[in-house]
Amino acid sequence: MRIRALGFALGFAIILSCSSAALAQTKQLSEPLAAPAAFDPHDLSGVWFDDHPRLIRVQERYWAYTYTKEEPSMTPWAQAQFNAAKPSFGPHPYPLAQTTDPLYHTCAPIGFPIAFLYPLPMQIVQSPREVIMLFEWDSLRHQIFTDGRAHDTALGPLWMGDSIGHWEGDTLVADTVNFNDKTWLDRMGHPHSEALHVVERIRRIDHDHLVDDITMEDPKAYTKPWTAQLKFILKPKWTIEEQFCEDEQSFQSIDKDAGAPAK
Amino acid sequence: MQRDLIGIALAFTISLILSSTASAQTKKLSETATAPAPFDPHDLSGVWMLDRPRPSKEVDRYWIYELNLEEPPMTAWGEAQYKATKSSFGTRSYPLAETNDPIFHTCTPPGFPRIFLHPWPMQVVQAPGEVIMLFEYDSIRHQIFTDGRQHDTSLGPLWMGDSIGHWEGDTLVADTVNFNDKTWLDRVGHPHSDKLHVIERIRRINHDHLIDDITIDDPKAYTKPWSAHLDFLLRPKWTLAEQFCEDQDTFQNIENDETKPAK
Repeated sequence: MRIRALGFALGFAIILSCSSAALAQTKQLSEPLAAPAAFDPHDLSGVWFDDHPRLIRVQERYWAYTYTKEEPSMTPWAQAQFNAAKPSFGPHPYPLAQTTDPLYHTCAPIGFPIAFLYPLPMQIVQSPREVIMLFEWDSLRHQIFTDGRAHDTALGPLWMGDSIGHWEGDTLVADTVNFNDKTWLDRMGHPHSEALHVVERIRRIDHDHLVDDITMEDPKAYTKPWTAQLKFILKPKWTIEEQFCEDEQSFQSIDKDAGAPAK
Repeated sequence: MQRDLIGIALAFTISLILSSTASAQTKKLSETATAPAPFDPHDLSGVWMLDRPRPSKEVDRYWIYELNLEEPPMTAWGEAQYKATKSSFGTRSYPLAETNDPIFHTCTPPGFPRIFLHPWPMQVVQAPGEVIMLFEYDSIRHQIFTDGRQHDTSLGPLWMGDSIGHWEGDTLVADTVNFNDKTWLDRVGHPHSDKLHVIERIRRINHDHLIDDITIDDPKAYTKPWSAHLDFLLRPKWTLAEQFCEDQDTFQNIENDETKPAK
């Protein structure tokens, strides 16, 4: 009874201190008090959403169209490809009628890892032999086999590549090769060739957060590997919805959504 | 020791019997001889392939383009729609250039339940509160929520519909509504309206076999609800490959594949 009363008084004091602090600080104060939710680091399942600030100007939100603020180090071949690209989105967008984005008018599959750059959630499901990322956008799958198999070079070249993975401690290391060269690497038009090799180091750092340290290696296009960190936040109440690329209108509504505040 | 001898003698007799019978019978005998593999009827996970009689001169090829051999009971509206369809496939097939199959030239999603009739494997994955069918063809998902939620009528109309389900004993009963009317019900052009309501009774009848009893209810297109029975066979060594609908070439390749024997 006494303990409970003390708890009540403490709660009241916290409420008082919280209400006098800024909203951001409130969040910081209350977080260390609550015990962190338990989680199994090998269980990545759930609906995840990119965890970046959203309420800033579109030009500054590089993560909505590429991986890093800094330009990757392109080869002359890649620079020529990039100069010729006319994206519909990003810092220097072209009107829809002029874009050369390969998936725009034909709804071609979007590819990997560019699928991460669309502002729609992703769900991870797991089975004993695989970890599967299901993207809301265009119903895409990134299926990572963790059963010890080697890359299946008889397949493809593929839009999403061929992915195998293994656990190093609490990190899922996924290795993807066997891509076609029909997709862009990002929404700005950075290119890639069939030699693209993507390594992801995926880790659930706490109950609500997942990071994917991604290394994109493509000697035809880049003079050195391009690395970035993708951050995701768990959205326990969300589900992935149906979002097929049907035609140009799909893109217009998605780009409009990207400018809207988070759900 | 004596028992072992009897066992050996028995095995020898059985092998004699087996070798003297036809191979179909052999299979039956050996199946009853081994204990059936254990399975959890609520675990539907695995890679499944539609298990229907393979095409031959005697057997109609309905298995890859229609839900049933029998014509469904169409309304006048349904009949008129059906007559106007020009399928590229099936008994009334038109040349590729003339077909008005809605998925043909534009690669729009095939919809549901038509997706079952595209002859590639389907993988079931389960997570708490949902059962998801992942189709190899066009990376399509059929996501059935089993967490007790209601239909979300704010969604759509959708290509794959909005699916909720619950377990009745060992049968997963899935209820799907909220369809658009842009797809055909099957690959020969049987129509549906946005009133389509699909009920599936999905049951793993043994380790290797799954059945899906589908009821189609669409009062605008059909005079009464009608049913179809789909059988699936577990393919433990298969994985889903990448099979995107990209353009007309995809379809031509696909139709060539269909004339080949099963994997």
